[in-house]
Amino acid sequence: MIGLVIVSHSPRLAEAAVELALQMVHGSVPPTRIAAGVEGRFGTDAAAVAAAIDEVGGSDGVLVIADLGSAVLSAGLALELTGSSTEVILSGGPFVEGITAALVLAATGAPLAEVAREVSSALDAKAAQLEPLPEAAVAAAPDTSDVPDAPDPRSADEVLINPEGLHARPAAMFVQAVGGYDAVVDVTNLTTGTGPVTAKSLIGLLSLGAKQGHRIRLDGQGPDAATAVGALRRLLVDGFGEATSAPG
Amino acid sequence: MRTLEDSRLTVDDLIAWLMRFDEQITRQAERLTELDSAIGDADHGTNMARGTAAVRSRLSAARPDDAGALLKSCGMALVSTVGGASGSLYGTLFLEMARRVGAASELDRTVFAAAFRSGVAGVVARGRAELGDKTMVDALQPTVDVLDTAAADGVPLADALRSAADAAAAGRDATIPLVARKGRASYLGDRSADHLDPGATSAAILVQALADSLAERGR
Repeated sequence: MIGLVIVSHSPRLAEAAVELALQMVHGSVPPTRIAAGVEGRFGTDAAAVAAAIDEVGGSDGVLVIADLGSAVLSAGLALELTGSSTEVILSGGPFVEGITAALVLAATGAPLAEVAREVSSALDAKAAQLEPLPEAAVAAAPDTSDVPDAPDPRSADEVLINPEGLHARPAAMFVQAVGGYDAVVDVTNLTTGTGPVTAKSLIGLLSLGAKQGHRIRLDGQGPDAATAVGALRRLLVDGFGEATSAPG
Repeated sequence: MRTLEDSRLTVDDLIAWLMRFDEQITRQAERLTELDSAIGDADHGTNMARGTAAVRSRLSAARPDDAGALLKSCGMALVSTVGGASGSLYGTLFLEMARRVGAASELDRTVFAAAFRSGVAGVVARGRAELGDKTMVDALQPTVDVLDTAAADGVPLADALRSAADAAAAGRDATIPLVARKGRASYLGDRSADHLDPGATSAAILVQALADSLAERGR
């Protein structure tokens, strides 16, 4: 599992962001250290960042996520001060969204480069949320009654029944569920025609804008595809364990 | 008359420089913070004063053996106490100088000019700021140019540093009409014009402190 170092001007900001992100992580938590503030004030200390990298630095690498301008400068200088030989990537991704995406994906044992990519694109879901709904796609969505049940166990179509749709918590459960299998599962929102995105990407899943009543398609590939799709399908059918009501 | 030794900086000269830097930063902290309140987050003076005070106490606690150890100790003290961009940037300036001079116990004018050039190159690389971006680079880059030319022409170090301090001050004053392109002030856009840049101001103090402490040695 990779390590994470969170660099912030404010310890309270960093602690709260990590606490918020950890709501999405169930099970083992990636090693995470915070380097924030200078002598009780707003600021960042490159030496403290370097020490944090050294503390979490295992063989799987370390991703550093920083808040504003000079936190990025300190993180850059820290790379020169660290005694660790582990691979370190400084992320240019957003702070809160990035920390959330990083913790969720890193918890599945994903490699450093993959987590770094996910964090870089962590704003996409928010941007997608604010885009106008693709009404045309909704109108043109296939009549679900005509879609035959796929006989192939590596694919599945299910309707989202939980009231909040595929929001952050269920999306994190998807990422976690698929993380344990040797499989790649593509997820498509058939109702809006959005996707496919990989089930390993929290941000990708959120960008589907999948709401209650939307029909979700799963397509798996790889040795464990059938088991992985089965696990995700069960989550959909169970409404992610959330209180459900009939789709209206 | 100056001798060849006048064109060398000893560990004691460097200590005298940094002590004077602290003295001047402390004296001008309020003004630096005032400059920063116009275009930044109003903490440059207090942050720098905290940093130079930490440098002073480190150097007072133990006298480093060589120039490299001294510059490194100074750089790490600034990194860990100043906070914000100034901590990383001033830290980088001193750490790069330390790397360049190694375990030398004395620096001649050529070595010092080369070390200062490395330090400023480090600042430029770290902050990605160029001349004219309204940053400390606007005071530091002219200093590098003057020191390089003076070293090549064999100008005595004390004279070279006096010219360098003048060049740094001119670079500092040239930031007034500029629009900031780096750092917190860049968020202000055109409103950052007509203000002296606090970082260029503290950088000019750094160069002036060296010129002054060396001039004092010569007396």
